[in-house]
Parts: sequence; C-alpha cells; structure tokens
Amino acid sequence: MKSLWKVFKQGIIFENPLLMLMIGLCSALAVTSNVSNGIGMGLAMTFVLLFSEIFISLFRKLIPNSVRMPIFLIIIGAFTTIVDLVMKAYFPELSKSMGVFIPLIVVNCIIMGRVEAFAYKQKVLPAIFDSFGMGLGYTWVLIGIAAFRELLGNGTLAGAQVMPASYQPILFFILPPGGFLVFGLFIAFNIWLKGRMRKSAAAKENA
Amino acid sequence: MKGNFRLGLVLAIFAAIGCASLAVVYSITESAIAAQSQKALNASLQEIFPDAASFEDITSSVSSNVQGVKFEQAFLVKSAQALLGVAVKATGSSYGGPAKLLIGVALNRSIAGVRVLELSDTAGLGMNAKNAAYYVKKAEKITFPGQFAGKFLTDPFEVKKDVVAITASTITSRSLTVIIKAAADAAATWLETSTTTAAQTEQAAPASGAADTTGGK
Repeated sequence: MKSLWKVFKQGIIFENPLLMLMIGLCSALAVTSNVSNGIGMGLAMTFVLLFSEIFISLFRKLIPNSVRMPIFLIIIGAFTTIVDLVMKAYFPELSKSMGVFIPLIVVNCIIMGRVEAFAYKQKVLPAIFDSFGMGLGYTWVLIGIAAFRELLGNGTLAGAQVMPASYQPILFFILPPGGFLVFGLFIAFNIWLKGRMRKSAAAKENA
Repeated sequence: MKGNFRLGLVLAIFAAIGCASLAVVYSITESAIAAQSQKALNASLQEIFPDAASFEDITSSVSSNVQGVKFEQAFLVKSAQALLGVAVKATGSSYGGPAKLLIGVALNRSIAGVRVLELSDTAGLGMNAKNAAYYVKKAEKITFPGQFAGKFLTDPFEVKKDVVAITASTITSRSLTVIIKAAADAAATWLETSTTTAAQTEQAAPASGAADTTGGK
C-alpha cells in the first residue's frame, strides 16, 4: 500500500509530467488561457490515461517488445475514439465542453510516455495509481497556469469577473509568449519546491 | 523470418480487434449522435426564428460562390401559415481552423440571427465569438454574432466599420463576417429566385422581419 501511495505521489511534484518530465507541453500551453479549459483538459486527460494504462498493463504479456509502439497507438487511439463517440451520443453537454480536448489527447505525449515507461512494465494496480498521480500532476499545473494567465490577461477566473472593472488586462499573458513565461515560472517554482522537500526529508532522516 | 511473420500477425490481431470494437461502438452510437446534432441544430434554428414551425431541407439548391466558404445545409423556415426565411449552415476557415456558423435570413433581406456552432480559435480571444457573456458592445450587451441580428444585406459588412470586432481578434472577426455575408447573400438570392409564392410571402415579410429585429444596429 505504501509503495502504491509513493507511485501516486511521484506524479504530483517529483516526476510531474509537465514540470519535470517535460512531456505533453503543447496541449498544456494551448489550453491554459482559461481556467475552465484547464479543468476540462486535465480531467479528460486523466480519464484517457487511466484506461490506456489499465488496458496496456492488462495486455502487456501479449505485446511483443519490438512492435509495442504501434500496438500502444492502436489501443490508445481506439480507446480515445470510443470515449469520444460515447460522450457525443449520450452526454452531449459534457462532450460540448470537453469534446475539443479529446482528439488532442491522442497525441498527448504523456499517455505514450507513461504507457511506455510505466504501464508496460507494471501490474494493473500500480498502473492505476500512476495514472491518477500523473493526471493530478498534469491537472494542477494546468489549473495553476490557467488561473495565473486568465487573471492577469483577462481579469477573470473561469469566466467570472474577478478584477475590478478599472483593471486593464495585460493581454500578453493570454498570448503564447505569456504562456511560455508563466510556464517557465512554474518550472522554477517546482524545482525550488522539490529542493526544499528533499532537504526537509534529509533533515528528518539525520535527526 | 518466422519471427517477423509472428510480429506482423500479433500487430494485425491487435489492429483487427481495435477496428472491430470501433465499428461496434460506432454502429451503436451513430444514430444517437445524429439525433443529438439534429436536436442541437433545431434548437439553434428555433432560437433564430422563434415562430418557426417547420424546416424544409433546401441544401441542394443553395450554393456558395465565395471561395473558402462552404454550405453544409440550408433550410427553408416556415411558421404555421407563412414563410419566415432561410437558414444556412456554413463553414469557412477562421484563425485557428474551420468555423461553423448558422445564419438566418428573414424575408426583408435582413439577418434574423447568427449562431456560432463550432469554432476552434484562441481561447480568451477569438473564442469570445462563441462566448455568450462576451459583449462587443458592452453598454447594450450585444455579443459578436448578436450584432448581426437585424442587419440589412445592403450594409457593407466591414469589420471595424459597421461590424464591431472582438478585441485583439481581427482575423476571427473578419473571417466570421465573410462567412456570414456569403451565406446571407446566397440565402437572399435563393429567396429572390426560388420563392414561387412571392405575393403571399411579401405580406408576411414585414411582420416576421420586425419580430426578429432586435435593434442590433
């Protein structure tokens, strides 16, 4: 149980997919101009990652090593399309708000990266915890960056006006260069946080 | 050699299972998806023409003569008694990809309403065309597609002149305006040439036109 918890925790800070592993960046920068988009993308990604990891972990003994990549792609692609179709047919409202992100997820490198590095070598249970940890790590960074950019760049949070009306939005933050800047700041913050956590853990061991 | 053959076989089996499961899910969901999109379209049509009772498909007889703008569907909108206008579902390219709009034209050659159905532009900028809470005219609370309601086709349809642009999204504003203008022109032309019961519909025109005109200008 403790090791599962550790797997889960890894994704949030120490091996954060965006800030440490640096994968899946394109989607992260593209959708983070608005908090609700960040939440939608984060949830949709976690969902697809969870099932991709489960499926590939289940089939891992049947997948020959030298053709694993195309088989991963088939499983991820087929699964994502199924999710997309089912959402469109039975949850049109959900599909309207999250639908645009689903096709983006197929090409999200986090899925491919985690499946290759983790699910292919692990049992189902750790794979589930890994997908939740990675998903949460991805989601909190998206929401964080989006909140920062939306607040300064548009004066709103998830569409609701937060800043006083006299506030002149700094459009720079909504545009791609602002995204890169905020993203860089988040990486710096995460490295600082990681260093601090390491130090306090080491201090605890010494004491 | 034998090993390669086995690898190919395994890959083929996975692909076949993937295809089969997709085909099954697609055949189950196909009708539901079509029904949902039809429902959404009907709801938008009803919003543009509140008095509408029936929609007749006239897709084959309305065609676009503006490059880059395509018409997916066109409907003749009727109330219980009279003709109300023509609605066109048009697609064209915008800043971030294709945009899909529904444009309604009333009989008096004014725009009854515009709805943005699909758009994939920059969130927070171009996407504001789809945001019901983003007003290009803040005092009157008029959205970007909303400003076209009641606009006459004789107007120039030029962004920053008679069309208010979305802040920092001139390309989106321009492309959407081009699509709207193209669809409205085609719809008006269709009304001119194809309305056989012209005398009867002329009478209905001022009433329905006035009802839909919400003072967008």
